[in-house]
Amino acid sequence: MKEGEGKTQAFSRHLVGKAASEHLSNFNKLLAGMMVSSQGKPEALQDIVVVEVGQANFPGIITAAILGEFGAEVIKVEPLEGDSARRVSPYGANVKGVGIPFFMESRNKHYITLDLQSEKGRGNFRKLISQADVLIDAQKPGWMDSFGIGYRQLSQLHPGLVYVAVSPYGHFTSKARENCNIPDTDLTAQAEAGYPALVGDPEAPEPYNYPLKAGLWVAAYMSAGLAVAGALTALLHKRRTGEGQMVDVATYDAISSWQGFSLVWGFTFEMPRVRVGNFDWTLFPYGYYEAKDGYVTVAAPADADFRGLLKILGRWDLENDWRFIFDRITDDVEKLKVLEEEFKKEFLKHTRQELVRKTLAYSAQAAHDKLRGKGFPIIVETKSPREVLQEEHWQIRKSFFEVDVAENEKVRIPSSVPKMSDSPPRIERVECGVGADNKKIYEKFGLIE
Amino acid sequence: MSEDYFSYTNEIFDQSRIAEKPEALKGIRVLDLAHVIFGPVISKWLALFGAEVIKVEEPEEGDPWRTASYWAKYWKDSSPFFQSFNPNKYFVAIDLKKPKGKELVLELAKKSDVVVENFRAGLLEAWGIGYTTVSRINPKVIYISCSGYGQWGPLRFFPSWDLIAQSMSGAARLTGFGGKDTYKLPDYYGDFFPGLLGAVSVLAALNYREKTGKGQLIDMTQVEALMRIMHHWSYMDLTGEDLKSSGNVDPSMAPSGIFKTKDGKFVAVAIATDEQFLALLGAMGKMDLAEDKRFKETTDRLKAENAEEICKILEAWVKEKTEQEIVALAQEKGFPASPVMDDWRMVDDEWRRERGSVVELEDEMYGKGIWPLPTVALQKTPGRLKRLSRPVGYHNHYIFQTLLGLSKKQVNELERKHVIGYWGNRVGQKPPSYYDMENDPIFNFDQDEKK
Repeated sequence: MKEGEGKTQAFSRHLVGKAASEHLSNFNKLLAGMMVSSQGKPEALQDIVVVEVGQANFPGIITAAILGEFGAEVIKVEPLEGDSARRVSPYGANVKGVGIPFFMESRNKHYITLDLQSEKGRGNFRKLISQADVLIDAQKPGWMDSFGIGYRQLSQLHPGLVYVAVSPYGHFTSKARENCNIPDTDLTAQAEAGYPALVGDPEAPEPYNYPLKAGLWVAAYMSAGLAVAGALTALLHKRRTGEGQMVDVATYDAISSWQGFSLVWGFTFEMPRVRVGNFDWTLFPYGYYEAKDGYVTVAAPADADFRGLLKILGRWDLENDWRFIFDRITDDVEKLKVLEEEFKKEFLKHTRQELVRKTLAYSAQAAHDKLRGKGFPIIVETKSPREVLQEEHWQIRKSFFEVDVAENEKVRIPSSVPKMSDSPPRIERVECGVGADNKKIYEKFGLIE
Repeated sequence: MSEDYFSYTNEIFDQSRIAEKPEALKGIRVLDLAHVIFGPVISKWLALFGAEVIKVEEPEEGDPWRTASYWAKYWKDSSPFFQSFNPNKYFVAIDLKKPKGKELVLELAKKSDVVVENFRAGLLEAWGIGYTTVSRINPKVIYISCSGYGQWGPLRFFPSWDLIAQSMSGAARLTGFGGKDTYKLPDYYGDFFPGLLGAVSVLAALNYREKTGKGQLIDMTQVEALMRIMHHWSYMDLTGEDLKSSGNVDPSMAPSGIFKTKDGKFVAVAIATDEQFLALLGAMGKMDLAEDKRFKETTDRLKAENAEEICKILEAWVKEKTEQEIVALAQEKGFPASPVMDDWRMVDDEWRRERGSVVELEDEMYGKGIWPLPTVALQKTPGRLKRLSRPVGYHNHYIFQTLLGLSKKQVNELERKHVIGYWGNRVGQKPPSYYDMENDPIFNFDQDEKK
């Protein structure tokens, strides 16, 4: 319960002292209770039934998984041979034939098989849908409709249905029609959203100067987050009016439309941004620097933070020329490179731990400054996933969940996000056999074997 | 049912009819104590779908993103990026460090359904306006506290930025070519994705409250949100090895990559399944490879040495085709391929306007502009852009009079005592230079006069 208070350093004078600790004590009790376990607590969506259909579409798979974490009963309907997404995995790594992305997003799901191309399968499907609240359609646009089980037919059968369509270009517009055959992948979604055009080093030799993709599934997860937000917004409307509706998400527009920087920039300045490697366009310094033994991440963009950083590095001589934020945010990249080179040289002189320690010492002292004029420069180690696993903080918060996959073999997956005091999201089980829950679900919903 | 599917969907999602449709979150009031990106985009979602969002800022300062802009270039004396995170909101400015300022915030919190904040963990609790205080006067409140590492644990008080969260989650080392190099996820993914999950959790809590009448505290963290999307934890446990960055190849897709076309453009191609592989081979005219035992099954294609071979074959083929030819073949045969778009091409793409993810707005203060909206179309309760942001404190009179029942005189008194305030004389905080503030009916709002 102490959560290592000795090690918990407060970098604000507002967080220390008698008054603050009195205020914080009730809060701490509440938080400690939130970290223990979600078991037995109510679930936010425990009255909701979600049905998922799709073929090799991870945004759809993740959308259903997140709704399941918040307590919805999620039933994934697969063809008899299973979703081909099951085999997708980094270098083919798998848990009993199931790839990591599918395994990870099997949390709390029930798997049943139905042949939607047969009349019997569709009869069962209609019966299931008539008892469901949400359908996630991650098939190609129009595929469900062509079998008589799309939105326009199902909404007649069940006007309260929230029908969430997840596809690359969406289910309407002329471009959606032209591209309705194109399947979703994270990489192509990143490309269509203009993301790789912002990443990489344009001065490197070919092909290292190409637009570069983000090394994790940023588009698939952003798409899923948007689809869940859309589904829950529509569910609130349903709770108040009884009315269902169609929700349409274009995965190839997820990052571009939610982050929005590309579109705002494009409109305001009528040209694309140029890539500037690891520079930031708005904040400086704000990036990765090489230290003696690996990378550190530095964020000290405000004037006060910048002054603090110069003190930590012992480079007050730079202060005069680079004092103001407008000296450091400039479209003159050549000018900024002068300062960048100085920093590069300086960071290389220290180990990562030396830099972190100096920063913490500086910050602890600066926190007592009444006017906060000493700033809050931040330097942390740029951690690899393996280093992250060593961090005690995440163990205390139970940020990883272990799945028993065989005797003495556990596989970690990330826990549900976020923590909530009354109806927290959680992982109840991870099982993913094709048709594993046929018996239970067929019986419960009155489907015909 | 003879009507063509896309004619039907185009009809039900008709963009010209959005204004006449109802809003899903109408009647929900959000007190937005957040700043920068992570917190403000949570209330952005809520505001776009009809919630009444009251954004509280520090007098004379405002949200730091007001004065931040790419290459320090502004649009009509405002940061166009700040505009895009803060649409449809009301703007008041209160000094939270003053006792009277705290009282004012608690009055607003009492009348709100949701409170959003992203100060340093525990800070608002220490100031007496945290969840434990607000829930006493408003037990149904949903209070979301956003931070880098969470409200609990040894790192709780440590500060965070998008980039720091990328580094503390391990995400920072995953983009690059597998060597020493490493690149950031641009445009503050470490704020936008956690912010989106924050909106998701508020919506889940609103659904729960609709049914049970109960509010709650939400502890939303940037780092855990980024960890949630990584395959790396399981990969390390299963193989004992690190899953390192791999340039433009997605190690879960073979072949995959970003390739240069004959006309000097870039296209991304990624093959997830056997069916897509056959479609690609059909486009390439290389059906013989379908029987090659290195490539036939997904699991074999994904082995590093086989993936490398098939990527080389694909690269050579793309080099002989134009971007248009590749896209046309992808449409015809059905495999995943996309041009690598850039900022300007995206704005120019008619598709986004038809979808409603790029919209034109005539704003009363800032005039005509083109803005992004999330690409989530709700047929019956669509999101919509009603107005842009306003200068710091612009809605002081309007909100304190209409919501808290203060008179114009009382609001002026609060200003005199520096409990509330307005913009400082800096670009981004103040009104555009051409704007006539003295005759603005909302800024000079007087309830009594209206009666």
